[in-house]
Amino acid sequence: MKRRSLLLSGTAVGGALLVGWSVLPPRSRLGQSALWPPEPGEVALNGWIKVARDGVVVLAMNRSEMGQGVHTALAMLVAEELDVPLTRVRLQQAGHDAIFGSAESFVGFLPFHADDREPGQESLAFRGARWMTLKLARELGINVTGGSASVADAWGPLRLAAATARARLLGVASLRWKLPVAELEVRDGIVSHPSGPRAHYGELAEQAALSPPGDVTLKARSDWRVIGRPAQRVDLADKCDGRAVYGLDVRLPGLVYADVLHAPMLGGSLATVDVNAALRLPGVERIVRLPPLAGATAAIAVVGRTTWHAREASRALSVQWRAPPAGPLDSKRIEAALEAAARNAAERQGGFSFHSRGDSLAALAGAAKRVEALYRAPYLAHATMEPMNCTARVRDGKVQVWAPTQVPGLARDAAARVAGVEPDAVTVHVTPLGGGFGRRLEVDFVAQAVRVALETAGRPVQLSWSREEDFTHDFYRPAGAALLRAGFDAQGRLTAFEAHSAGDALEPRWMERVLPALTGPVDAPDKTTVEGLYDLPYAIEHQRIAHVATKSGVPVGNWRSVGHSHNAFFVESFVDELARAAAVDPLKFRLDLLAAKPRHAAVLTLAAQKAGWGRPLPAGRARGLALHESFGTIVAQVVELSLADKQPRVHRVVCALDCGVVVHPQGVAQQVESSVVFGLSAALYGRIDIDGGVVKQKNFPDYPLLTLAQTPLIETHTVPSDGPPTGMGEPALPPVAPALANALFVLTGRRLRELPLAPLLA
Amino acid sequence: MPPHLAGAMPTMNLTINDRNVTVDDAQTAPGMPLLWVLRDVLQMTGTKYGCGVAACGACTVHVDGAAVRSCVTPLSSLQGKAVRTIEGLVGAGGPHPLQWAWAEHQVPQCGYCQSGMLMAAAALLEANRDPSDADIDAAMTNLCRCGSYPRVRVAIKAAARQLTQRRRAVNR
Repeated sequence: MKRRSLLLSGTAVGGALLVGWSVLPPRSRLGQSALWPPEPGEVALNGWIKVARDGVVVLAMNRSEMGQGVHTALAMLVAEELDVPLTRVRLQQAGHDAIFGSAESFVGFLPFHADDREPGQESLAFRGARWMTLKLARELGINVTGGSASVADAWGPLRLAAATARARLLGVASLRWKLPVAELEVRDGIVSHPSGPRAHYGELAEQAALSPPGDVTLKARSDWRVIGRPAQRVDLADKCDGRAVYGLDVRLPGLVYADVLHAPMLGGSLATVDVNAALRLPGVERIVRLPPLAGATAAIAVVGRTTWHAREASRALSVQWRAPPAGPLDSKRIEAALEAAARNAAERQGGFSFHSRGDSLAALAGAAKRVEALYRAPYLAHATMEPMNCTARVRDGKVQVWAPTQVPGLARDAAARVAGVEPDAVTVHVTPLGGGFGRRLEVDFVAQAVRVALETAGRPVQLSWSREEDFTHDFYRPAGAALLRAGFDAQGRLTAFEAHSAGDALEPRWMERVLPALTGPVDAPDKTTVEGLYDLPYAIEHQRIAHVATKSGVPVGNWRSVGHSHNAFFVESFVDELARAAAVDPLKFRLDLLAAKPRHAAVLTLAAQKAGWGRPLPAGRARGLALHESFGTIVAQVVELSLADKQPRVHRVVCALDCGVVVHPQGVAQQVESSVVFGLSAALYGRIDIDGGVVKQKNFPDYPLLTLAQTPLIETHTVPSDGPPTGMGEPALPPVAPALANALFVLTGRRLRELPLAPLLA
Repeated sequence: MPPHLAGAMPTMNLTINDRNVTVDDAQTAPGMPLLWVLRDVLQMTGTKYGCGVAACGACTVHVDGAAVRSCVTPLSSLQGKAVRTIEGLVGAGGPHPLQWAWAEHQVPQCGYCQSGMLMAAAALLEANRDPSDADIDAAMTNLCRCGSYPRVRVAIKAAARQLTQRRRAVNR
């Protein structure tokens, strides 16, 4: 299948909508004031912006805060265009209108090569597909906090919404004072004229709601006072004194608590259960059987007076579980099969080709020097610090859900399906998320909570998973294997590159769980399987990048940076191997291949400079580097490490990046630190094993994470840019593992082609 | 006193954040850890559940001034003891120096582990007014999935400096 048919199958997702879509009127991205629930003393100026009587600006917040700082960054965009201090922007959860849906995340799914997507030089095909996807996405209105796309998504509409609101407010002042708008000044939400009149937004809002905005222009970059300047996170205070109410902290009158015990085998089911002993325990109210909901394995929920009562009672249950019909899963067997599939695909040029140019087979056959290597990556768990949970109440045909979720609309749909009501009868309150990383793009825990709430006679129930359930019933980062091949010609030029990878397609599985109505009988090719592998920035004449999509039966899902999380390790380790094979410094080797990619070259050069690449290090230390683009952001990292007791000790990670305009500088630095620490945990220790259908890692002692004592110095350097903002929640993660492995090669002479790395050195 | 604490069978008397608290036997269960008493009985949800096996530190509180992991601390061991939770870290004179430093250095991201981080750091500064990097490494074993570690270290040092200055000012 070639790209064209691939695109067709991709867009078939919304095929039915396409028919009538061309006759739809253009959708206003500002939305109507009527989208806000009426509240006394507040005046809506469009779907995004309200003004309170005291002049405070209220922003409809459509994105979930899971640590990535999105509430701050989006509030900054509004503060900028409305000329109010950040502290005068109040957030209120947005509703479910399509204007709040995601668009850029879906563009991110398009399987276009990096050459097609180069900002300012986009190919015609990409521009067409992008336009169509954006339009389609805006019709669908699926609200996803993911794909590192929140700021990119908000950049246009949110600034426009704020600027339009400002224009209306100024228009009213102008009319009232009979003074031209051009002579008015706004500072800290107060409109004034040098001749004396002053009014704050709250005094102008009511009339503004009835007036047209007139001419709306976004601020010129030279006038920015908020964007790109230091700002304190808007969620900081509540997170320093215990006041922040996460999903698990929701407390309601009459609340009962449910503990969930899944069939230990993934995909297993309940055979028999003796509930008598558990029901006799004090504080235990009822026991509910949970069918497989939204992709979850079948489970039993025990409802009790406290989480502890419920959890103790689950332990007292006497249950017989059944294995899944296909038999118990075994990750060793799956990983061996993936390796065989990758080798087999390489031999027969099989798999689905996501990118090919030139004639890689001929180029390899005629190469003066060939390099071939097989790389592997394991399953991984998300391990958010706040385990899965959801609070629900079903009363009088209405459903209320309090959920730490990345997908409030999909959570609403799931709740409606389980409760047998229309989505309109469901209210979703999004709480702060104690970590997301893609795990909370799922709605299994929401469906379970609503299912239990159907049995508690109108009382609210907080359903939560123990850490053990959280580890053993995740939707894991898929395991993967890739056979990589390259060839140099007689002049020593790298002329051929092939990647043959194998692993589960994950987006079709996610769609089945959260968007069953849009799921077709055949999987559309999943671009995430090869992202970061098929779209290399390097100039290589002959390429073929193909993937064998498998369906192992292991529940797989989106894990921070998704396919990039392992593909960057594969390809950037391999490029390092190629540099060694060519006997060229890895930095120079890459720069030589980046002549046509000045932005990549600039990022790589900056990282190398700041890290002192090429300068001598103390004995026993080594550096490794990696370059990777994901979610529109180009990142280069240099890792500096040593070995102590055969274990890597990472001292310093220098990170350079180009993420377009930087909206919140500390937010960018925090996301780099976050991604580096997350990436080091995974690269050094992360692995999930499934044996006899059961996940072996059950709690943190089995799944080590980096500790404070092991955390290196992390530096963030940004390349100045005028481009629109691109992703930051994920892109600094993928380069960590290859930079680490490349440094270890320098230090030990061993090329580690498998993750995690620490056990290989022990 | 909240109604659920006014039961007929008071079995446990302890101090939580300088307040005398009586926990009714009917509200708890044998062996119930302090974590769940705080969260589900007393509705003090600032202290977090993370692992239940004292591995992550999200549930860290002080008992008689020392940092303990409340998920494995049975209520029954606390008769007459003084417990301090994140809700009680703010003192009479306002936020704890660590809380200022936490904001100044923008430590939290998702923030879920930060109650435990702050309580562990507060216990460290109680015992050691000028902790070295090695001291911080040894004391701060709490897990954070967002990677707040570098900022935790910087903020602890900043708070230590502030405490030292305060003490000097008082001594003068």
